[in-house]
Amino acid sequence: YFHFCDDSVTMCVGTASSSKKSSKETDAIDELFNQYANTHSHVIDPEGIENLCSSLKVSHTDVRILMLAWKMKAERQGYFTLVEWRRALREFKVDTISKLKKALRALKEEVRTPSNFADFYAYAFRYCLTEEKQKNIDIETICQLLDMVLGSTFRAQVDYFVDYLKIQNDYKVINMDQWMGFYRFCSEISFPDMSNYDVELAWPLILDNFYEWMREKQA
Amino acid sequence: MIRDILMYMDRTYVTTTRKTHVHELGLNLWRDNIVHSSKIQTRLLNTLLDLVHKERTGEVIDRLLMRNVIKMFMDLGESVCQVDFEKPFLEASAEFYKVKSQEFIESCDCGEYLKKAEKPLNEEVERVAHYLDAKSEEKITSVVEREMITNHMQRLVHMENSGLVNMLLNDRYEDLARMYSLFRRVTNGLVTVRDVMTLHLREMGKQLVTDPEKSKDPVEFVQRLLGERDKYDKIIVTSFYNDKTFQNASNSSFEYFINLNTRSPEFISLFVDDKLRKGMKGVIEDDVEVIFDKVMMLFRYLQGKDVFEKYYKQHLAKRLLSGKTVSHDAERNLIVKLKTECGYQFTSNSKPILPCNLPAEVSVLCEKFRSYYLGTHTGRRLSWQTNMGTADIKAVFGKAQRHELNVSNFQMCVLMLFNNSDRLSYKEIEQATEIPSSDLKRCLQSMAFVKGKNVFKKVPMSKDIGEEDSFVVNEKFTGKFYKVKIGTVVAQKETEPEKQETRHRVEEDRKPQIEAAIVRIMKARRVLDHNNIIAEVTKQLQSRFLANPTEIKKRIESLIERDFLERNSTDRKLYRYLA
Repeated sequence: YFHFCDDSVTMCVGTASSSKKSSKETDAIDELFNQYANTHSHVIDPEGIENLCSSLKVSHTDVRILMLAWKMKAERQGYFTLVEWRRALREFKVDTISKLKKALRALKEEVRTPSNFADFYAYAFRYCLTEEKQKNIDIETICQLLDMVLGSTFRAQVDYFVDYLKIQNDYKVINMDQWMGFYRFCSEISFPDMSNYDVELAWPLILDNFYEWMREKQA
Repeated sequence: MIRDILMYMDRTYVTTTRKTHVHELGLNLWRDNIVHSSKIQTRLLNTLLDLVHKERTGEVIDRLLMRNVIKMFMDLGESVCQVDFEKPFLEASAEFYKVKSQEFIESCDCGEYLKKAEKPLNEEVERVAHYLDAKSEEKITSVVEREMITNHMQRLVHMENSGLVNMLLNDRYEDLARMYSLFRRVTNGLVTVRDVMTLHLREMGKQLVTDPEKSKDPVEFVQRLLGERDKYDKIIVTSFYNDKTFQNASNSSFEYFINLNTRSPEFISLFVDDKLRKGMKGVIEDDVEVIFDKVMMLFRYLQGKDVFEKYYKQHLAKRLLSGKTVSHDAERNLIVKLKTECGYQFTSNSKPILPCNLPAEVSVLCEKFRSYYLGTHTGRRLSWQTNMGTADIKAVFGKAQRHELNVSNFQMCVLMLFNNSDRLSYKEIEQATEIPSSDLKRCLQSMAFVKGKNVFKKVPMSKDIGEEDSFVVNEKFTGKFYKVKIGTVVAQKETEPEKQETRHRVEEDRKPQIEAAIVRIMKARRVLDHNNIIAEVTKQLQSRFLANPTEIKKRIESLIERDFLERNSTDRKLYRYLA
């Protein structure tokens, strides 16, 4: 398993050149990692993540786990590598579960800043591309993802858009362009009147169709 | 005369003391004491106006006297002339013609009114020539125009049973010409006429093309269109002096309503097909040219030129393969005309056509031929047009009735099946041959229900073919001659499913063309905003078809997904070309 090789190289280099304090820190972080990691593959797998969630007392579908993955820059959904684990926990400066729990609360605020949020939002999409060369995500997953990621800030838009996605037939999957387009829609277009929306501009077609559908409903 | 007497004084004293010269002084005195005298001024004016009025109502007046009086005014100076005569004259004239025109409009229809309106214009010009100041001509003419034409323009044009529409419908060239030349004089006169004509033309055209009755016979349909085109052409040339703006209005109206019926491209192709199949025999070369020129006119109006192309090729292929074209020269001429309009794209490859399971014996031969052909010609594509072509089959009916049947490929496939079975259901035949159902049905009908060609019997005997209906060979088949040619019941218009299929193919063909246009444009411009892309793409493709902005947007999104383009990260209204 290739990841493991990389990790072991980094680990060696890390411990060799770091100071006593940070190596102690690293040790604590690594130890915490090992509590949840799979003993054979040396990564935290889905089961490990479940355990982690129980420890943290959050549901594994909670958006905070996704935010944690974002902080880690985790590449593969359902798995945290040691490098990724260290990346996040070093930034948080935490090495215990209770400290991590606190950090997660602060993380929620951090993600919400406009510059971070766009990045997080895009990350959320990529995170769901589980197959190699996959570029699109099925409608059902998208609906769940939208709810998780935008539900608290743009409740109305998400509710209506999810309804629309479920009944329309034009698209069976959503791509990154459409995904990002929806976020732009939420940030820029007044809702539900949508008076500043213009179908002749470069909005993705699916949003044009959504707009028409909303108009018909409102009429 | 007075000046002559006082000449010396006039030259010396008056000049040095800067007093008014005698002549001028005399005129001023005349003006102030006579013309403007309270006892004379009004009376003079009224008398003059009264005389003009009398003349207008048909009486004869002393024109010489009038002339002299007016000349007197003119001598007294421009402003006197205007204030004391011209202005009141124009006002009185306006009043007079207002009344007159009201009279006319209530009692005449449009054509009569126009005739009546022409007269005063001529009369007034004559009046000016005889006794008025030449400068007044323009002014009095515009008064008459205003009262007689402008004020009643709308009412005239829209008059029931006699207005513009009625004139157009009944080819009243003289009335139309009169309307044109009268309305031309006034502001917005021609605009009014043109707008009403356009509206009428569009409405009439719309009814014509959307009437289901009229769409039943494609040839009739196109003939009607050509007829209307000829009619309006004649009207514009004869009555409207071939006015370019009217030509344009007519063209845009035709373009508008011809494209309201999505089958227009198909029908026009069928019309051409009809002309080239029969009825041209005995028709002179020139007439053919004329008909095709007219067809080209209609072709130019089409928005879906690529749709026309598809049908044209289908029909052309059928004509050539069945040897039914009457004149190869005529075919060539038309193709040249079409090519000139559309450029090279018109004669590029067409796609292969319909599937069909050939009997084993035939497919073996096909394969042999294919390897031979591709072996001798490299770089060519061989596609079997299985729905065309014929076969000669030797058949034995009953004990000894032998015939040679000349049949289409499809018919051959069906017939060969019966070498192995006595009786087959429609469903079985369809599965075995994989011939599309509408073609298969026609094929079976032509062999079961046509007198003298009924090599099959159908059970049950009804003409409609159900899935479970079966066919058996007609052992009792007889024919006078050994060779029997079995044609196929040819449906001229496409059936609904065929139509859908053609539409679908056209849509599919358009997608790569749109994408190619987008890529071409973006490659050149590198960065471009949405509206401009739509505009440019539409422009590039307009000689082929009218591109739909939604479709263009779809293609752009597809190109974004395939990493040909991306949205500009700072301004998401812009697209960027990805090399």
